Amino acid sequence: MPKAENKGLLIFFYVCIAVFSVICFAPFVLAVSGSLSTESRIAAEGYSFWPRGFSLETYQFLFGSKLEQIVRAYAVSLTVTVLGTVSAVLVTTAYAYVVSVKSFRFRNVFAFFAYFTMLFSGGTLPWYLLSTKYYHLDDKLIGLIVPYLLSVFLMFLMTNYFRSIPHEIVESAQIDGAGHLRIFIRIMLPLGRVGVVTISLFYALQYWNDFYLPLMLVTDERLYTIQYLMYTMMANIQFLASGNAAQVGGAIIAPPLETAKMAMTCLTVLPIAILYPFLQGFFVKGIVVGSVKG
Amino acid sequence: MVQQATPRDTNDRLAKRQAVSFGRLRKSIGRDAPLYLLALPGIAVLILFAYLPMSGLILVFKNYNFNDGIFGSPWAGFANFEFFFSSMEDAIRATRNTVMLNVLYMLTGTFFSVAIAIVLNEMRSKWFVKITQSVMFFPYFISWIIIGAILFSLLDYDKGILNQSLAALGLSQVDWYSSPWLFMVILVLANIWKSAGYGAIIYYAVLQGIDTSYYEAARIDGASRWQIIMRITLPMLIPSIILMSLLSIGGMLKGDLSMIMGVTFLNPLLLPTTDIIDVYVYRTAIRSGEFGFASAITLYQSVFGFILVLVANKMAGWYDKDSKLF
Repeated sequence: MPKAENKGLLIFFYVCIAVFSVICFAPFVLAVSGSLSTESRIAAEGYSFWPRGFSLETYQFLFGSKLEQIVRAYAVSLTVTVLGTVSAVLVTTAYAYVVSVKSFRFRNVFAFFAYFTMLFSGGTLPWYLLSTKYYHLDDKLIGLIVPYLLSVFLMFLMTNYFRSIPHEIVESAQIDGAGHLRIFIRIMLPLGRVGVVTISLFYALQYWNDFYLPLMLVTDERLYTIQYLMYTMMANIQFLASGNAAQVGGAIIAPPLETAKMAMTCLTVLPIAILYPFLQGFFVKGIVVGSVKG
Repeated sequence: MVQQATPRDTNDRLAKRQAVSFGRLRKSIGRDAPLYLLALPGIAVLILFAYLPMSGLILVFKNYNFNDGIFGSPWAGFANFEFFFSSMEDAIRATRNTVMLNVLYMLTGTFFSVAIAIVLNEMRSKWFVKITQSVMFFPYFISWIIIGAILFSLLDYDKGILNQSLAALGLSQVDWYSSPWLFMVILVLANIWKSAGYGAIIYYAVLQGIDTSYYEAARIDGASRWQIIMRITLPMLIPSIILMSLLSIGGMLKGDLSMIMGVTFLNPLLLPTTDIIDVYVYRTAIRSGEFGFASAITLYQSVFGFILVLVANKMAGWYDKDSKLF
């Protein structure tokens, strides 16, 4: 009898997880389907999980009349992500190394200096005024990078990885006369590479997905990231309606407003979806290491 | 995070202090010089984007004007506070929304994360766990603006999937984007969708570390699956659950501006429940340039946020000495 009960519960579990997984996945199907539908049928019949009147006209429209904006937004996002990630990883690992050096008498001071910013914050407003009026980061590419160069959480995560490197290796290098710079670059970074890759991915994800900084600092259309372009599209549908109606195959068509949003969604998620299967393991490891007491 | 000094450490330090001579100190500074250099960029970022903004909180005592900036603007005494108390309703609404949403996120998020972790832990089919876990984790990688765009296709009055389904069932359609309280439910569901898989990873990792002999013993005693979950698995997770919840208390006054902006596009009809403190500051100060009130609410958010963090940490410390953060 208990056997049957156990089996029933287990089947119920499988069903629950399967349903929630489908719910997690379905919205993306909706987006793809919307992007492949024709505008007229979406307008008349609404969105659907199966393309309404399968067509590529939306993508033709986007790549036809909005190509320049999309390519530029992609380029800005890519630049910010690459430059930001590289710089942030350098800043973060260097700081994390300092905090992890056991013989350094002020390491706790440095650790607390970073940690205190997690406890107390001046809030958005002073941050905004300083960034725009004093640092002049508004409407500059560097403004989309610099504020995120040191995530205290990732810094402590990296410290954990550095601490797990056997101390004997460092000691023997010191005996051989290596200084801190050499130990950091030649020993800690290569041996802590799993940590370096992990925090790189967290930074890359943050830079790619961010639209807080553009929201705060960017008004210049040339500095729109792909996320912010998406935001302006959603918040202000006029963006798509403006400009010339696209000419596809000689016929003038009205700009496809609804399907274009879905197509932009697909274009924005695409790079993440492609890389996800290869990289998710690092995120999982990072989350587990980070949550088990830093 | 700041490491407790171990006895050995302290002894070392004592010995060092006793034997300290000027020459040795100079030598250690010389040897450690590269460390200061390595920390310098990080220190600069922390000062520019964390410590100077803290000092920028004096803004609240200033009559801010753009030309003189934060530090040059004339002092205003407590005028901004008077302003703050005279329009308490806004402050109360913003605080209520922030705390309410955070509490709902915490409760529902924890419930779903724990439930997923426990259920996955019951499954013996490795490939099923692996695939579903990957799928459930994926939304964590999606920005709020993308989620907002997809939500729109679900919730739009005429074209949305939800209203289509309601119509198909013969029910009346709902105008989601003008129902603030219904939309709060949507925000909570969206938050579960985005972060339950992420949270489950943490709890699942805890469960993987449980000694399997507990389960074997229970099974020999004839315990049912449900009994094992309630008597072994769940109790094993309780310390982590309590700890994570306590720590999240520290963030109760923090709001996610990106989430509200990305999902509601600052829709004024939804503000009764979506106007969290961060949104309020963004709307009034950054968009409209009214700094007086926003600076007061920023100071209040910072100070009470700090107190909450200290309280949360204290409680975590009572609960479990090791889990104290500092």
